Amino acid sequence: MSIEISLHKTHRRYTDGKEVIEVEGNTVGECLKDLVKKYPPLEKEIFKNGKLNAVMEVYLNGTSAFPNELVKPVKSGDKINLIYMLSGG
Amino acid sequence: MLTQSELTRYDRQIMIPEIGREGQEKLKNAKVFIAGAGGLGSPISIYLAAAGIGYIKIADHDKVDLSNLNRQILHWERDVGRMKVDSALEKLEGLNHGLKIETIKETIDENNVMAIVGDCDVIVDAMDNFPARYILNKVAIEKKIPFFHGAVQGFEGRVLTILPGKSACFRCMYHGTPPQEKFPVVGATPAIIGSIQATEVIKYIVGAGDLLTDRLLIYDGMSMEFKEFKIKKNPQCDHCGTER
Repeated sequence: MSIEISLHKTHRRYTDGKEVIEVEGNTVGECLKDLVKKYPPLEKEIFKNGKLNAVMEVYLNGTSAFPNELVKPVKSGDKINLIYMLSGG
Repeated sequence: MLTQSELTRYDRQIMIPEIGREGQEKLKNAKVFIAGAGGLGSPISIYLAAAGIGYIKIADHDKVDLSNLNRQILHWERDVGRMKVDSALEKLEGLNHGLKIETIKETIDENNVMAIVGDCDVIVDAMDNFPARYILNKVAIEKKIPFFHGAVQGFEGRVLTILPGKSACFRCMYHGTPPQEKFPVVGATPAIIGSIQATEVIKYIVGAGDLLTDRLLIYDGMSMEFKEFKIKKNPQCDHCGTER
């Protein structure tokens, strides 16, 4: 059961520049927890008070996982994109 | 009706089958509100003025700073210290004197936004913060007019077109508010993103092509890639949801 998480460049400083990380889990939330287990400094970026940080966007197989992103089921081969909101203009 | 001068001026775009004389007349009769006269507002307003949008309203409460000039191409060295909208008005009128250009020097908030947008047909996002974008998204839904979103940082940008009642809105996609802080950016990034927003506005007004509705376009200048993500309308959305 392997799922790929693609990280936004903002977060690659925590993964030695690696963009794609393989994780395991049955839901988006479990996959993100596995990611944080592998790269603990990512926790404060991805989660806030135990919930998904509201400035994070989660896409599952190219489609927005919003709302209730963390409980969305995943299966082997799925791809998650973790993106940080941009505000500049 | 287009004048002989306008037929000559816009000849190269009238030649495009999807525009033609009819489309050019639609552009001439269109009223566009551009929220912001900075990095995104510069290319958006320049290309929409060049394309012959008959009425452009542009709002910005800020003055031109030397540090703006790497990206805000409406403003030049001699404009440092002037109100951005005054600088914008001069440049846009110099580019196309036949247009009506109105400037607003206010900060957009919940109390004034309805009056500022007025009877414009579309809203173009050239803001640098999420609270203002949420306000504009909400008023676009209330007025049932399109909202053309753009955002930039560094070498990266995002574009989404919102057609209230038909496609996912800005709030269907975003709920958080990133901290409002000085952001890094190279001028070519808002040039690309603003040009895409202007293209979307033109397509919408002439009724041609496929819009970036329900599709978030992400530009990465470092890898020189464009990616698309699907956005879904949220029935519980607190701005546009039918099951609120």
